[in-house]
Amino acid sequence: MTAIDRGVGSHKSSEARPLIALRGVSRIHDGGAIAALKNVDLQINEGECVAIIGASGSGKSSLVNILCGIDYPSTGVVYWEGRPIRTQRVWAKLRRLRIGIVFQEFNLIPTLTALENVELALLGGGLSAKHRYARSGAMLDRVGLAHRMHHLVTKLSGGERQRVAIARAIVNDPMLLLADEPTGNLDSVSAANVADLLFSLREKTGMTLILVTHDGVLAARCARRVRIRDGVIVDDSPHAATTAVVGARAKP
Amino acid sequence: MNLVGLALRNLRRRPIRTCLSILGIGLAVGSALALIALSRSIQDSTREGMDEIGDDLVVMQKGSSDIFGGLIPEETVERIAAVPGVVRVSGELVAFAPSGLANSVLTLGWPDASYLWRKVPLRQGRVPAAGERHVAVLGDTAAASLGKKVGDELDLFGKIFRVVGIAGYTTIVNRGLVLVPLADLQEASYRPRQVTIAHVNVEHINGRAELARVREQIEALGGVVASTANEVLSNDRNFAVLEAVSLAVAIIAVAMSALNVLTALVMATQERTREIGIFAAIGWSNGRIMRSIVIEGITMCMIGCAAGVLLSFLAAFAFPRIPAIGNLISFKPSVGLIAPVVGAAFVLCVLGALLPAWRAVRMIPAEALRRM
Repeated sequence: MTAIDRGVGSHKSSEARPLIALRGVSRIHDGGAIAALKNVDLQINEGECVAIIGASGSGKSSLVNILCGIDYPSTGVVYWEGRPIRTQRVWAKLRRLRIGIVFQEFNLIPTLTALENVELALLGGGLSAKHRYARSGAMLDRVGLAHRMHHLVTKLSGGERQRVAIARAIVNDPMLLLADEPTGNLDSVSAANVADLLFSLREKTGMTLILVTHDGVLAARCARRVRIRDGVIVDDSPHAATTAVVGARAKP
Repeated sequence: MNLVGLALRNLRRRPIRTCLSILGIGLAVGSALALIALSRSIQDSTREGMDEIGDDLVVMQKGSSDIFGGLIPEETVERIAAVPGVVRVSGELVAFAPSGLANSVLTLGWPDASYLWRKVPLRQGRVPAAGERHVAVLGDTAAASLGKKVGDELDLFGKIFRVVGIAGYTTIVNRGLVLVPLADLQEASYRPRQVTIAHVNVEHINGRAELARVREQIEALGGVVASTANEVLSNDRNFAVLEAVSLAVAIIAVAMSALNVLTALVMATQERTREIGIFAAIGWSNGRIMRSIVIEGITMCMIGCAAGVLLSFLAAFAFPRIPAIGNLISFKPSVGLIAPVVGAAFVLCVLGALLPAWRAVRMIPAEALRRM
């Protein structure tokens, strides 16, 4: 059984364990003309709630893209549970089983219904169609969208679409949920609802939450805040990590 | 929801492009099938026609490149008749005879005493009497296309022939024949004392060995070659050229269908770059992403191939009803023909789908997600 397959639910220790870590990670574009990240070291432990904050263009999204493996570091190594991740195959498996991602632009498939969008994340996981359907429906129910599950996502409001995206991100019961500006495209009421939903899910499941935001109020709800500027981490509050819900994560 | 359902959904998303791609594949497969079936059916029709006449051997001039390309003297036919084991032999002169304003008709000239006259399956009238001149027996489709019946006059090579009988052959080649006395055709086509081929029946006492011996003795007469009907057709240069051209055009048509799939899927994957990024972001493996694209290609290919096969059967139904085609050849697409053509189209379409699929998974997901 690999670290990816094992999951954290079986881990009962109250000691904080490293979940994901960057060591000397840089990301350069255009042959070195643009350095989005410069020699970043960062460790995030199981159960932590971390806000990554910074101005536009500071490197927040580059950091989160590398944390979930949808972009590759130019130099440096990313570790998952202490093991270096070197292949896209491993990253794909992590994203399928252990990492959920919520994007600012929702990134849903417009021709599919809410239910089908959630179901996409379960394809290839060995579940029968019946179980995929039931689990996706249950997840939409969990985010308060049971009554809209058969609607095309293009017919949903922004807040509802983001809740579909959250349902898709958590349907595989991930250890780590990465949310990149999840309220950035929403009105204030929807933004508050989505934020409440994310924190409530984290509290119930104990999963690690990394929230990329430039919203100070939202960031304040996280125990640890990492500030990034010009591709460099300029501020971190490592002691806040001790407030994480380590070991409290329960399998649904 | 599964990969097939997703592929169908994506195809329905752009119905016009999907339909045009499928139509392109269908036309390519249909025309490939039609071309190959046509070239084979010309050969098959000729073979069936020869089988219906009932030859054991066909004797032609040595070195002639096709069945109509040589001439042998009538004296040689008489010498063939003297070869031990030959039961009966008949010379035959073949010509495409201009008939008034109509197209040329395939005309055979047989000697008055030929056994072939006795084997004509008459539907109406009679065969020419010994010594009777300027008379003709028409195959039923020839009679229909020329608009002639027993008693009518027929213009061949500018000479008037009287129709004395209508034959009811079963093969398409023989149904389109005009049969006349050999002397008349030799005179009209300026081939005195010459025939194109000799039909030979052999006494089958010792089967193949007897046939081989007779064949050797006939060829020993010099200047001629004796072959079975199948050998005549397989050595015929006209048929070889026809088959090669048909095959080449069919290959081009099938390759075009693969290009159709390739173009459709390249455009579809380019438009859906962001969507492919989403699949990668939610943990789909490269293999799964490629499969989802290839399944779209396979779906289009399967529908296109089915449409192509249907088109070929429609052609098989329609072509015999067009006199210019139906009077000369029969058109029969068979499983043995459909399987390799559809198989080749399928393989090419899968290859055509793999290229855009491979390109799709080479993208960095974060970059794919940035695309609009």
